[in-house]
Amino acid sequence: MNEIEIHLAVNGIPRTIQSEPGNTLLEILRDKLGLTGTKEGCGAGDCGACVVVMDGQAVNACLVLAAQAEGTQVITVEGLAQDGNLHPLQSYFAEKWALQCGFCTPGMLMSCYALLLNNPNPDPDEIRDAISGNLCRCGTYQSVVEAVLATVKMSQEARGG
Amino acid sequence: MVDYSVIGRQADAVRSREVVTGQARYCPDIRLPGMLVGKLLYPELPCARITRLDVSVARTLPGVVTVLTAKDIPGENSYLYAPPADQPLLVPVRVRYQGDALAAVAAETEESAQAALNAIQVEYEPLEGVYDVLEAMKPGAQQVWSDRENVYDHLVIDHGDIEAGFKQADIIIEHTYLTPLVEHAFMETEGAVAYRDGDGTMVVYSSCQAPHRDRMQIARSLGLPENQVRVITPHIGGAFGGKDEAHVQIHAALLAQASGRPVRIIRSREESILTHVKRHPVIVRYRSGITRDGKLTAVHAEAIGDTGPYLNAGKDVMNFVAATLSGPYFVPHARLESYTVFTNNPICGAMRGYGIPQASFAYEAQMDLLARAINMDPLEIRLLNGLETGMQVPTGVTIREGRGMKICLQEAAHLSGWKEHDKEDRQPAPHLRRGWGIASIWFSIGMGRNIPDHATATLEMTLDGSVILHTGAADMGQGAHTALAQMAAEAIGVKFEAVKVIGPDTDRTFDAGPSVASRQTFISGNAVLRAAQPVREALLQTASELTGLPMEILQLKQGLVLAEDEVLSLTVSELAVKAMEQNRRLQADGFYAMEYPEPLPPHSYRYAPSVFTFGTQVAQVLVDIETGQVTLEKLVVVQDAGKVINPGGARGQVEGGVIMGLGYALMEELLVGRGSTQNLNLGNYLIPTAKDVPGLIVKIMEIPEPYAPYGAKGLGEPPLTPTAPAILNAVVDAIGIPLYRIPLTPERILTAIEAHHAENPPNDV
Repeated sequence: MNEIEIHLAVNGIPRTIQSEPGNTLLEILRDKLGLTGTKEGCGAGDCGACVVVMDGQAVNACLVLAAQAEGTQVITVEGLAQDGNLHPLQSYFAEKWALQCGFCTPGMLMSCYALLLNNPNPDPDEIRDAISGNLCRCGTYQSVVEAVLATVKMSQEARGG
Repeated sequence: MVDYSVIGRQADAVRSREVVTGQARYCPDIRLPGMLVGKLLYPELPCARITRLDVSVARTLPGVVTVLTAKDIPGENSYLYAPPADQPLLVPVRVRYQGDALAAVAAETEESAQAALNAIQVEYEPLEGVYDVLEAMKPGAQQVWSDRENVYDHLVIDHGDIEAGFKQADIIIEHTYLTPLVEHAFMETEGAVAYRDGDGTMVVYSSCQAPHRDRMQIARSLGLPENQVRVITPHIGGAFGGKDEAHVQIHAALLAQASGRPVRIIRSREESILTHVKRHPVIVRYRSGITRDGKLTAVHAEAIGDTGPYLNAGKDVMNFVAATLSGPYFVPHARLESYTVFTNNPICGAMRGYGIPQASFAYEAQMDLLARAINMDPLEIRLLNGLETGMQVPTGVTIREGRGMKICLQEAAHLSGWKEHDKEDRQPAPHLRRGWGIASIWFSIGMGRNIPDHATATLEMTLDGSVILHTGAADMGQGAHTALAQMAAEAIGVKFEAVKVIGPDTDRTFDAGPSVASRQTFISGNAVLRAAQPVREALLQTASELTGLPMEILQLKQGLVLAEDEVLSLTVSELAVKAMEQNRRLQADGFYAMEYPEPLPPHSYRYAPSVFTFGTQVAQVLVDIETGQVTLEKLVVVQDAGKVINPGGARGQVEGGVIMGLGYALMEELLVGRGSTQNLNLGNYLIPTAKDVPGLIVKIMEIPEPYAPYGAKGLGEPPLTPTAPAILNAVVDAIGIPLYRIPLTPERILTAIEAHHAENPPNDV
């Protein structure tokens, strides 16, 4: 196989990866970088378990070819907590029981994280839109919406407004 | 009211931090040095005889380490969910369904494993299969087995005098109801990782619901003693019954044994949908008699279930359909029947609800048609006939605690404003119709009589007052470990945070039975209470000696030592140290087996369960009569839990069940043509998304159950079961046309409307 060299930043760390042309971003993250927090649920872009944030947008990592990730900034679930402190989304997901089996949770968190990057004050319908590509068979959707709203409220209070 | 300090209080799920940081390890996340990729070969035809299976080329390919066929299995070549062990691990000759495995390969990479599968040469003699359950029941039908009839089991539960019951009826109605074949769609597909440990033990990480049953099955197929097999559950990404039976864990262990290397098998989504057991599609013929004033006099209902070619839990599920088909109502005369029928379609067995979704759909749709026939309100007819404590049901059981039925009904009616509906806008636009539907269920907790139903739990108090709870109960996301930890904390008298849970590892934890039948809160919960009692006693005895106070006035709560209400300056840690110095034991096992103190009358159903929970839901829908689209606007959910152990977890179980129920009502159906499933991924097998979920109004009732830990009974399955009939009844209410089948797809609704107009020309509008 002709390997290609891919350069990208994952959770703020620059990486150079030898990849086969057919590799997906999901394979790079899980198999080459050992970042197994990002899950594979269907391999076809139907379930959202593999959502990561690439250049500020939520993407299904199973649908992104390695070459498409060249030069991008990727954030995965492992990149949310800073210095051992959970991101508020993570804390509220736990507190609101916005997770059961937890397999969809990393993708769900990253869709919510991307939403807040682009829309710091979403309403419940906008949150539902943002996670409509993240299937959760345990049915935590309502609690996810509440966790995002709690995060928004907290950050508004932190900003004094 | 007892004042609990941990039970009923909010607590984060145990190990939730691992989940939200991406550190939780599921089977696909486990990597071991030298680990091989395992894959299974599936047949091209659902019904055939293999005339040639040649793996010689595959074995020589680069990167291929092991290729196994049926004759390479050292022990038993079958699954053993329960006798008869009729499903082979690897098919020797006869293919009976699309998910049969023919060969197993282990190779260095995904690609080389796939190349090995491609290089296996298979020749088939196609055989005539049987793909329609009613065809399969006819005399002379194609037989799935040469030595067993297609109708494997026909259960008849007879109660009272059915003919006399129908004679007492003023009105008798009969309809046939159909439910679809449904897929679990757990987000993590089935997976296992197996390797041989230094001492020869076969260690298997398994995404499963029944770790100890897995151990037995792996040992018997590998030809090892059970103590040479160790099954560990890592994080499990959902199961819903679909990981109750073994899937790939035995194959992974066989490949690890043959190759001498670690092997991981993870099913692709397509393989997952292709292979594992589903929820039975069921045909229910339902005949009931009622008096003009609304009293049920008799029910005769027959359920026919297409169980696929292997038994698995098929008969048990179908028998549960029969045992509950009379609904949560007092029915003096009943004949309830189930047929478990072999075909060459997908295997059916356990899925969240275990037969009750099919039964409740039929009995609750029928209940509304009975109400309509005598012009009675659907709420009134349910209140009039609803079960109560002490009533006998057709299986022969007398209801131990039955207040939940009417309490839930009344609460749901109240929360939904049931009596106010007709004041609301039934036709908000010319093409839109609004309607309301109500449905109630009863649901049994535990396995049923004469079926093993027990668990052991182990507790250890350490010298600093922290506690380790060992449980063999699998937590697939339903929150069993959190609930058990809360019970341990409450029962010993320490803080929730002081309890650490060690989940299933068959070398370290004892059997708790499978995590099925909404049983672990009840059964493992009681086991935890029994383990906690001697530990607490040892601590209190020590406290009594240290303080000179009588034991009866001493308490442990949240890690504090109290004399009546006064907090003493003693800590649990000090007590533990002192108890240890005095050679008191601070570790204990608790064992609990389901109790059936009430004798059954003769001729009762021998598996009749005794613990029931109840629930009622009210749906409000909007139907577009031009497109057939159903919008679920509101759902009121009232469910009895006995006692809520953890509010967040309980709410999650209820909402999750309801969302699965609304998928069942509106969108989910596996399409199988001549034994081949058409919709093999989540792009065409649709499950509810965040946008499909309406405003849910959830209320959990707490009617304590006798014998249950803190009065708590299972909550994992029941909330799913009223949803589909509530939605169906609402749609029927909206369009005024009876419907008998789910899912309520737009096509089905339009067809029903057109058929109705063809029979009833619209000049009378």
